[in-house]
Amino acid sequence: MLMCKLKGWFETFALLLWTTHMLMCCHPGAAFAFTQEEMNTMAVYKAVAPSIVNITATTLTYDFFLRPFPEAGSGSGIIFREDGTIITNYHVVAGAKRIEVTLSDGSHWDARIIGASPNDDLAAIRIEVQGRTLQAIHLGDSDHLEVGEKVLAIGNPFGLGQTLTVGVVSMLGRNIRDNGRILKDLIQTDASINPGNSGGAMVNAGGELVGINTAILSPTGSSIGIGFAIPVNKVKQVVPGMLSFWGRWLGWILAVLLVYWLFRKIYR
Amino acid sequence: MRQTSQSIFFATNPFTPGGWKPWRPSSWPRMPAAWSIWLCVVLLSATASFALTEDERNNIELYKRLSPGVVNITSTVLERDFFFNIVPRQGTGSGSIIDTKGYILTNHHVIEDARKLEVTLANGKKYTARFIGSDPSTDLAVLKIDAPSRYLSVIPMGSSQNIQVGQKVLAIGNPFGLGQTLTTGVISSVGRTLRSTNGALVEDIIQTDASINPGNSGGPLIDSSGKMIGINTAIFSPTGANVGIGFAIPVDTAKRVLQDLIEKGHYAYPWLGATLMTLFPDFAEALKLPVTNGAMIVDLVPAGPAAKAGLRGGDKRAQIGNSIIVVGGDVITALNGQAIEDADSVIREIRKMRPGDRIRLQIARWDGSRDEVTVILGEQPRRSRW
Repeated sequence: MLMCKLKGWFETFALLLWTTHMLMCCHPGAAFAFTQEEMNTMAVYKAVAPSIVNITATTLTYDFFLRPFPEAGSGSGIIFREDGTIITNYHVVAGAKRIEVTLSDGSHWDARIIGASPNDDLAAIRIEVQGRTLQAIHLGDSDHLEVGEKVLAIGNPFGLGQTLTVGVVSMLGRNIRDNGRILKDLIQTDASINPGNSGGAMVNAGGELVGINTAILSPTGSSIGIGFAIPVNKVKQVVPGMLSFWGRWLGWILAVLLVYWLFRKIYR
Repeated sequence: MRQTSQSIFFATNPFTPGGWKPWRPSSWPRMPAAWSIWLCVVLLSATASFALTEDERNNIELYKRLSPGVVNITSTVLERDFFFNIVPRQGTGSGSIIDTKGYILTNHHVIEDARKLEVTLANGKKYTARFIGSDPSTDLAVLKIDAPSRYLSVIPMGSSQNIQVGQKVLAIGNPFGLGQTLTTGVISSVGRTLRSTNGALVEDIIQTDASINPGNSGGPLIDSSGKMIGINTAIFSPTGANVGIGFAIPVDTAKRVLQDLIEKGHYAYPWLGATLMTLFPDFAEALKLPVTNGAMIVDLVPAGPAAKAGLRGGDKRAQIGNSIIVVGGDVITALNGQAIEDADSVIREIRKMRPGDRIRLQIARWDGSRDEVTVILGEQPRRSRW
């Protein structure tokens, strides 16, 4: 009899537990609970943010009276390797006299350009961080992106400081013309991308880099919901070549050899 | 006895070895196994194709629950046109009902200079609002309408203490005067600073990528549990419309000033009565000061709290590099035992106190001596009434 009574109480208790559980999980406005979506966004930001840097590039421009004055532009960058190799857009660091990198912990470092590919609008810079390992970003695969997939853009719009914006992949495989050169196979997104976001990361819901925010289409110069990113598979293709000796000089060496060979032919 | 101990919720005891079976009237035929599999497939596919995602359900539920608490504010400002005729100009903003007595929290810049304030509730009822109090330094203001409490749906205040970047936020407001509008986004960053219209620094600003446009000002920024965490206030934009960078004043700031706004009509700020300048190490070196960092007093308000306590302001000019600075004042190196690096940190510390509080300042004098001074904070004089 006692066992039966216990069983009855146990059932009641189980039912209560089940009801509260269902209420907490299914009730959308359940207090203190974040939705799955937000928890994912927060976790991805926390994991990725240390790999995103702010870049201040100072170029020397000339004013009306041809007096030189420094002009600072801001952009973003992504830590590519633990040794301090950072990838960014070529237009962020093009012609810069001085490049300053601000890590997400607030420390400032001087950087130098170690590789550039103007046609792909990609550049690699390096900061010398002795005795300290940086957190490199995980590279994803941009071939398996789907339209509608969530993407997070992290960057430094208008030089405000590190900023997260969220959107979806709007379209894949866009080609745009950007002052003379054509950037191919870009990812289009509706996450707010503004001047200064250039060179920043576009990551997927798994926290992997899928693109480098590069350009926007806008009549005003600021975000209207159409931003473009270079797919990470392009980066994987281009950056190692940019960084290695042969990748950088092979073309020149071959060209010089060819010219030499031609001259030999002509003046033999 | 066995029957009575059974729970009423289960037809049979689910903990018997046979397991749980749904109760079926004995007159009904047994369901064949194939049918039940088919039923499961149909049910699952139906839920998969029609169901909203958890995130969407959350948005819809929050909008339904909280949108009655957001009001549209139309302010009429009198201006003079080209021929000096007086013309009324209307502006729109948003506000949130914070109390069943009819108190409405909004931005100071929404109601600034207004001759007439009209509040439209979500149900379309219009009320003339009374001005209760405002604080230009945090860009917050409180209005009151005399609406029956059954029309007043309160937006609960949360805390902006533990918000995280990436968290979802909802902004409800009245952009461009279009009427009630919901926009969603995430928190883009926290801890930004903003200067309000009177030049005061507002701390811990929340940045969001939810679309905030002119007219959204004063509306609530809500988290996924339905609590207000901020008051949408400003945007960063070269064009005037949203570019994905919006700013909200944290609700903790609002909570701090709200009681005083309702009771007194203004918030009494603690006041040192001194103009401070950050002393950078290279300045300190050039001026041969005994300290490297601190906040240097440039000017004192006569008979202000700092002057009464015996602090000294600058009296000489010195040129260092390209800048001319006023030197000769005391340098604050610590406040209540806490080292001071720059002028902003002094302001930040004093902001946390109330008028009448005592603070201990460690100072370095111009002649090389060090001293400790106790200052009784005064009340910041207000330049003009609203």
